Amino acid sequence: MYQYEGEDVFVLDGHVHWWDASKDNISHEGGEQFIRCFYDYHTGFTPEERQWSLEEYRKYDKERMVRDMFGDGHADMGILQPTYLNEFYTEGFNTIDRCGELAEDHPSRFIVNGRFDPREGEAGLKELERQAEEFDVRGAKVYTAEWNGDSKGWRLDSEESFEYLEKCAELGIKNIHAHKGPTIRPLNRDAFDVADVDDAATSFPELNFVVEHVGLPRLDDFCWIAAQEPNVYGGLAVAAPLAESRPRKFGEIMGELLFWLGEDRILFGSDYAIWEPEWLIEAVMEAEMTPEQREEYGVELDLEVKKKIMGENAAKLYDIDIERQKEILRDDGVSEEFGLAEQYGEGTAVADD
Amino acid sequence: MSETHRISPETIEERLEVVTDPELDRSIVELDYIEDIEIDGGSVEVAFTLPTAWCSPAFAWMMMADARDAMAAHPAVSTARIRLRDHMHAAEINEGVNGDLAFGEAFEDADGEVESVRRELDGKARVARQYRATESLLDGGLQPEQIARLRREDLAIDPESSRATIRLNHDLSVCVEAESLERYLEKALATGIADEAEKRLFVTPEGEAIQPSEFETVHSRGRLAATNMTGQGHVCENLGASRIGSPSD
Repeated sequence: MYQYEGEDVFVLDGHVHWWDASKDNISHEGGEQFIRCFYDYHTGFTPEERQWSLEEYRKYDKERMVRDMFGDGHADMGILQPTYLNEFYTEGFNTIDRCGELAEDHPSRFIVNGRFDPREGEAGLKELERQAEEFDVRGAKVYTAEWNGDSKGWRLDSEESFEYLEKCAELGIKNIHAHKGPTIRPLNRDAFDVADVDDAATSFPELNFVVEHVGLPRLDDFCWIAAQEPNVYGGLAVAAPLAESRPRKFGEIMGELLFWLGEDRILFGSDYAIWEPEWLIEAVMEAEMTPEQREEYGVELDLEVKKKIMGENAAKLYDIDIERQKEILRDDGVSEEFGLAEQYGEGTAVADD
Repeated sequence: MSETHRISPETIEERLEVVTDPELDRSIVELDYIEDIEIDGGSVEVAFTLPTAWCSPAFAWMMMADARDAMAAHPAVSTARIRLRDHMHAAEINEGVNGDLAFGEAFEDADGEVESVRRELDGKARVARQYRATESLLDGGLQPEQIARLRREDLAIDPESSRATIRLNHDLSVCVEAESLERYLEKALATGIADEAEKRLFVTPEGEAIQPSEFETVHSRGRLAATNMTGQGHVCENLGASRIGSPSD
């Protein structure tokens, strides 16, 4: 567990991947372009001495991920967010079944999320039921710009999507993580437009909508929607690395997020393996708003706020009792392997009253 | 031939200054997208590299088309060509823009033309510029309700002195630096805002008159639009820096 100024900071990394972009798995040039684009983001923001080679980046094993996340990486838990891209990758880029293997090995460390695509009709709804049953998923990642045959994307506020959201509500899949981030493909950026979150969030107040990458480069549209919809959250993946390379800019973005959403609706995410949590968590924890920014926005980015962003907010969405979870983590295989038990407190000291 | 009519890399660059990256609302010259300028008699070909090969094809198209138009407007230029390098759709864009095709002709799987994207981004740029213009008026001592009420005819810009005069009533005017207001007006006119004397100078992001009670919210939304653009600018710079191997600051 990360320690900051003598205090424990429970880190629930809200956005991690275990992908396979090895050449053998690529079935369309889009798959190669996609991983290279990811790699540009990796090298563009990762401190030089921490950068991976493209070959390492294409496919990494479980052991590496567990070490990078928990052994060296300060994270206590991670939420696996599947990204299928079946048009690009033979076995999918990062599927729930692949993620499920990791979660099966380390059930105390990983939360595995489902995924849906309303263009898959009846079969997709059945698949969602399978995900709920087999993996007990509480959240789902959606990638509205994913290709599917001739279609280059879909909208969260479409009739078909609403049918899926209804199914999610029925199955207890209450956290919908929508990738609304940098435009990679397709040709026009409409498929990553955040406007569709508005109507979906209004229509499904029982669900939470986590807009990943805080909508960048549509931070303005995102914040304006989130200011009006209490069940809309912001995932920090992509914005977080600015804490390292552009700390002043990061302070400004945090100022906007805290101004429009408040401190209870912002979730940290490393986007592993795009970035490693170790340096990223350190950078975000060290980040400060300048006095001018604090005055301009009238908000504070202090330790209490950072603790919420780093783990407490996500823990609430996923019904995790942090104190109880620390007891579980103390005795798990990861703590044993990396000697982390002490960080979670002494086993005997818990029953003190 | 006068100095301004002679073609030189400098005069070409000067022409290109008005072309902006639509997502960042900054000049492509300032952003350092120009790689090379080749002049052969009246023919000019300019090579560009964008921060990332994945830069939205629609944005890349707009910049390249605008660059070609800006060069072609130079009185001594007979042929203007662009060459986009290292972009995933360089071939379609170079062929399309140089061959006078429409976006939808160059990209057969495009979903419509780029005009709607341009309108949307212009609208955002207008909102961000309004924030900066409004800031300068607030600094100049104007009250929010005065700013909300201003009409186009209340603003006079003197290019000679780079000063802007805001007329508040028959007896009272305020004078401020013109730059942010000039920049605002340019984008306002391009988006159909404040294009007649009696129209409001500043409006909400949706284009409505600003009620005095909502001034703060509108102003905060302008700040947010500016933060989004500069934030994205940093993302692009980092991607660009990693691409050409130079360190980011």
